[in-house]
Amino acid sequence: MKGYLPVTLAAATCLSMLTALYMVFVYVPTEVDQGIVQRIFYFHLPCAWVTFLAFGMVAIAGGLYLWLGHKIWDDLGYAAAELGMLFCTLVLVTGSIWAKPIWGIWWTWDSRLTTTFILWLIYGGYLLLRSFADDTEEIARFAAVLGIVGVVDVPIIIISVRLWRTIHPAVLLTRQGEHGLEDPRMVATLLVSLGAFTIMFVWLLWVRLATLRLRSRVATLRRDLAVLEAGAHL
Amino acid sequence: MTDAVLQAYRISKFFGDRPVLHGINFAARSGQAAVVVGRNGVGKSTLIRVFCGLARPSAGRLLLFGEEPFRLAAPQFRRLGVLLHQTLLYPNLSAQENLEFYGEIYGVAEPAAHAAQWLARIGLQRVAGEPVSALSRGMEQRLAIARAMLADPDLILLDEPFAALDPDGVQMLAALIKEALARQAAVVFTAHAPLEIEGVDLGLFRLDSDGLKPFKEENRRRAIRSLLRRH
Amino acid sequence: MLEGFGAIVRKDLRLEVRSGESTVALVSLSLLILVVMVLAFGPGGARRAEVAAGALWIALIFAGTLGASRALMAERESGCIRGLLLSPVEPATIYAAKLAVALIFMAEAGVAVLVMLVLFFNLEFGGGLLRLIPVFLLGALGLSALCTLLATVSGRVRAGGMLLPVLVVPLFTPALIAGSKASAALLAGQSLGAVATWLKLLCAFDVLFVTAGYLLFEHVILED
Repeated sequence: MKGYLPVTLAAATCLSMLTALYMVFVYVPTEVDQGIVQRIFYFHLPCAWVTFLAFGMVAIAGGLYLWLGHKIWDDLGYAAAELGMLFCTLVLVTGSIWAKPIWGIWWTWDSRLTTTFILWLIYGGYLLLRSFADDTEEIARFAAVLGIVGVVDVPIIIISVRLWRTIHPAVLLTRQGEHGLEDPRMVATLLVSLGAFTIMFVWLLWVRLATLRLRSRVATLRRDLAVLEAGAHL
Repeated sequence: MTDAVLQAYRISKFFGDRPVLHGINFAARSGQAAVVVGRNGVGKSTLIRVFCGLARPSAGRLLLFGEEPFRLAAPQFRRLGVLLHQTLLYPNLSAQENLEFYGEIYGVAEPAAHAAQWLARIGLQRVAGEPVSALSRGMEQRLAIARAMLADPDLILLDEPFAALDPDGVQMLAALIKEALARQAAVVFTAHAPLEIEGVDLGLFRLDSDGLKPFKEENRRRAIRSLLRRH
Repeated sequence: MLEGFGAIVRKDLRLEVRSGESTVALVSLSLLILVVMVLAFGPGGARRAEVAAGALWIALIFAGTLGASRALMAERESGCIRGLLLSPVEPATIYAAKLAVALIFMAEAGVAVLVMLVLFFNLEFGGGLLRLIPVFLLGALGLSALCTLLATVSGRVRAGGMLLPVLVVPLFTPALIAGSKASAALLAGQSLGAVATWLKLLCAFDVLFVTAGYLLFEHVILED
């Protein structure tokens, strides 16, 4: 079964992505106010969803690592953080691409994008930490704590940014197209896209996790070898 | 059968990929003293740090007062006294202030008087008000030993306690160890050469890359004889 | 549960009174930041209150991060943190004590900053300034909670000292937003009631992170 899982996930990703692409570019009707650019929304929102999913996993994996101590939870947290950063960057990029033709500016400080940007900084710090530090248990525990603290912060970031935004109405512009999905085809496309991105996330997570697990296994083998060599020096 | 306050089962400790300790089995019992002998760099300090719960073993099990150190209730640590390679003394506080502080956090009654008593016991009463940074290495070592033992712990772990001590200091420490054993504490310390303490039945153990082993009887006699010859 | 708290706080304050190193470092850094702000933005003008509020919070963040890491890392000399870890004091109590000391350092710096704000930005010594104090303290508490929890990174990682602000600042943004907006309003003459929402946000932030720190500290303080 294990051998078939990556292949199945890859195939499922391909299939669902192709379906989503077809629906986004061919099937769904063009939105009236924003035109063709609005289609990016069907990528933008799923990326945001995956970002939150990934960062949630970092915290849960961190908690499990602190509780159970098995390296696999640390590897899972690291893999989830990397993917979370990837999709977080995509949210910011797609948000930017969406904003430019509509309002003529590359960035709007609207509450959702700002929150995403702050998350990007938090988890950027997480990855920076892991790349600067050695792969020890101490660092793994610290990273787990950081991941938990990050997720705990999210609700309060959302609230504070929303409050901050409401006192600057002139600077910010509301974004349409998220709650006004009148056409059922739009809803369907969005759901398919969400599903496709989720499957892709799971697949990428599996691949990345396998690599990290391999690395951990090599480290264990190295240790065993060192022990044998030390014992041989009698 | 006396209580085993410290039990180590097949302890290993790695730093990265490097094995520092492997296959360590050991037990420390109330009222018994043991010295772990090993050359420099073999891992004596690491052994002490694992034994006192500061360093988690990479493999194996360590029981301190019957529990794994991570799960041991904080108040139980009152029963543990440790001397590390680092003195754990605050350089900018005086000798008296250091012992008072540690006395307080170890729940000693009347920490100030207790600290003064200990300073007299280790012969540092004249420098009680001096900052630790102004003390000589030998005096610092005496103070660090006092820090380890001031709460009358049941298990005393000392990393190379006899190093840096002058002959008076050696006598003082030997007396303290005897006192501790008399009240049924367990004492484990490290040294880089085998030694004897008069009036104490000292278990001799050797630490090398092969693990922790008691000296064989002939080796023990040979080792002690060579030590006596040196003095 | 909080045994040893008093002993550790008193010990740290005694050390600080003797050497004064941390106080000097924090106050100098705050002074530098304020000087830069005044020169960059100009001292007067209609937006004085906002710029002064911003300067206050920038000084808090950078000087505060330094102060908190000093409070914790002072134990690194002579490995004294190990002395605390081996003692019957619970790690969570060590956290509470270090948090209190960091907060005291920040409060010291805060007093100096408030005085400098009045001088540099031509503010009034009045109600607005006094009302600033609770807001500042709430922010400092949250910053202390975060920094004390994460400060162990400074000793453990290459360039850890640089990494600490990188980790702390994004996490601190909600308190920064709430605090600087409230401060600007208060300096412009508004009452505490007017900024109640921001104050509630700061309180929530503090409760959240002091609790998180208290529960998680034991996992980051253990070595090896």
